[in-house]
Amino acid sequence: MNLVGISINHKTSPLELREALHLNHDEIVTFIPRLKESLFSEGVVISTCNRTEIFGFPKINEFNLLPVINELIQFKPVNGIQQGHFLKFFSCGAVRHIFSVASGIDSMIIGDSQILGQVKEAFEISEDLDFAGAVLRKIFDTAIKTGKRAIKETKIGEGAVTISYAAVQVVEKIFSNLDKKSALVIGAGETGELAAVNLRDKNIGKLAVSNRTTERAEILAEKVHGEIVPFQFLKEQLHNFDIIISATSSDNYIISFDDIKIALKKRKNSPVVLMDIAVPRDIDPEVKIIENVFYHDMDSLKIIVEQNLQKRKDQVPLVQKIIIEEMIEFYGWLNTLDVVPTIKTMRSFFEEIRNDELEKIKNKVSKEDYLKIEDMTRRMMGRILHNPTVKLREFAETGDNIKEVTAHTIILKELFNLGEAPLNGNESNEDEHKEDRVNEKE
Amino acid sequence: MLQPIDSLNILLPILYCLVFAVYLYDFFNEKKFVNNSKRIILFVTLLLHLFYLISRTIEFDHPPITSKFEIFSIIAFSISFSYFILELLTDIRGTGAFIILFSIVFQIASSLFIEHNFVVPEVLRNRLLGLHVINALLGYSGITISAVYGLLYIQLFKNIKANKFGLIFNRLPSLEILERLSYYSAVIGFMLLTIAIIIGIIWLPNAFPNFSYFDPKLIGTFFVWIVYGIGILRKLLGNFYGKKVILFSLIGFVFAIMSLIVTNTLGKTFHSFY
Repeated sequence: MNLVGISINHKTSPLELREALHLNHDEIVTFIPRLKESLFSEGVVISTCNRTEIFGFPKINEFNLLPVINELIQFKPVNGIQQGHFLKFFSCGAVRHIFSVASGIDSMIIGDSQILGQVKEAFEISEDLDFAGAVLRKIFDTAIKTGKRAIKETKIGEGAVTISYAAVQVVEKIFSNLDKKSALVIGAGETGELAAVNLRDKNIGKLAVSNRTTERAEILAEKVHGEIVPFQFLKEQLHNFDIIISATSSDNYIISFDDIKIALKKRKNSPVVLMDIAVPRDIDPEVKIIENVFYHDMDSLKIIVEQNLQKRKDQVPLVQKIIIEEMIEFYGWLNTLDVVPTIKTMRSFFEEIRNDELEKIKNKVSKEDYLKIEDMTRRMMGRILHNPTVKLREFAETGDNIKEVTAHTIILKELFNLGEAPLNGNESNEDEHKEDRVNEKE
Repeated sequence: MLQPIDSLNILLPILYCLVFAVYLYDFFNEKKFVNNSKRIILFVTLLLHLFYLISRTIEFDHPPITSKFEIFSIIAFSISFSYFILELLTDIRGTGAFIILFSIVFQIASSLFIEHNFVVPEVLRNRLLGLHVINALLGYSGITISAVYGLLYIQLFKNIKANKFGLIFNRLPSLEILERLSYYSAVIGFMLLTIAIIIGIIWLPNAFPNFSYFDPKLIGTFFVWIVYGIGILRKLLGNFYGKKVILFSLIGFVFAIMSLIVTNTLGKTFHSFY
């Protein structure tokens, strides 16, 4: 199988280059016809904020990946990009890389859950543009299966690996039912938004947003179906919330020790969680000495993130084992594609023998006898080859007992010296499959 | 019947150790298979223990409350049984090892020193006494479990405050759940203790001619009952949150233990049967 691919990702290049080379959906749709025209018979373009990758089956056998890199750079010119920024993959290595990407072990944040959807989407674009055949479909189906297995069978996706999610994880260790709790997110920037979305995803009972710029607070509040606490009344409202997450860009503390002390008194000392995920900090860290106040800042939350990342790293060998299992399964399937050409070759081989022998007696018997012999030998061949043909075809169609299919095919080739059936990534084998099925019906 | 009783007497500490080992293994390793099977092992152990207690009652013709070591076996059973019910109700499975440890201690002590008591004072064969003692023991088991959850709460509380996100943080349920478990255990313990006190007040004056309301054990138990009663009432009235509830449970437990030690060793009481 002659699958090839290139990849520029977080391991090979800086963020600026990856960002500049990123292809959005429309750009991929425009780029694929260029690949189709000159380089690949079928292929897939995966582009996320951390990687841009192109995989495909080349139109010619002697293939150099340089034209693919050049095509990409021509399509999206980026200053400072070099060949060294690209990884190159061939055949088995390419399949393995696709499976690794889909399972999240090649991601910048190991176990990233978004990549599986992105891989799926990339393949769907290729399918829509008629740029994907049976083998490529099988590769990506298996890649998605690998990704799902990795999530289900290992802990590769478990644990908070972002600060805002780690904050929610700590909150969950303090309160049991978030749906009965109220939370206030101060700051409507990227971090605040992420925290608010995470809380909403955890079905927080009441969610409010406060921001110096009211418009931004309104946008975020609308997005997370939350309320707005006017920034000027923030301190008077603190006691109404069990969880306060602060992520503003303020240079000074916006919540002081006394603010919390007063709020806690109003709450009759009911526990409150303060998550200060701003740099510089928004809440006076002295509040941590107050009983029933759980205060955490970036440094403490980073501990959780690092621990969880390490746990995910420890799961990589388990995911690699799944990848190997799926590769064995995939290559087994690939080998079954060899069955139909083998059947054809076998039938041709016997047909040739029959024709040879008929040719030898053609002038030695009467025309009437010749026709009878011809008819008899045809039926004989049909009966001899019926069972092996049907059995092999059954094997190939069901895809079961892959090892058995491969073994039968090899034995058949060895016994009758049938030679190698051609196998590559294009659809010829699949076409033969279909053609043969049609013949059988006829 | 003596043969199975003797066999179970040896087997029960081993089974409790096995249950403890499985719960502890799951606490450290969190394996799905172990997580599902540990409850079954505990259930089987409790069934065998119940069979053992019933067998003793039938064989010796009295409830197994006639010696300290019979009582210990009931305590071991009631602690694990209470935990089992709590686990079934809440589906919180990560705290078993800490509770079952108490059952191991009591059952080992019981199995080592228990004797076959065929001859016991007639008063100890009374069914009301059996009910009184079993309720009291279940009540004390409840407050013991409440204290264990209290200690786990304090541990987790300290870990979160000190930014220690290790095993305790990862494996224990949330503070709110630990608080609830501790509180509910205390409530159940308090209710059973109330029943034991009521039965005692009704029955004891008839059974013992030298009965006195100033008996140290009675006063001690009543004092413990009052401490828990105040704590539960304050929680019900909404004045108690988080660590305060836990501290009250722990203080109540310390009072209960002190009361038992003092009344059983120092005080002179009609209330001592052994």
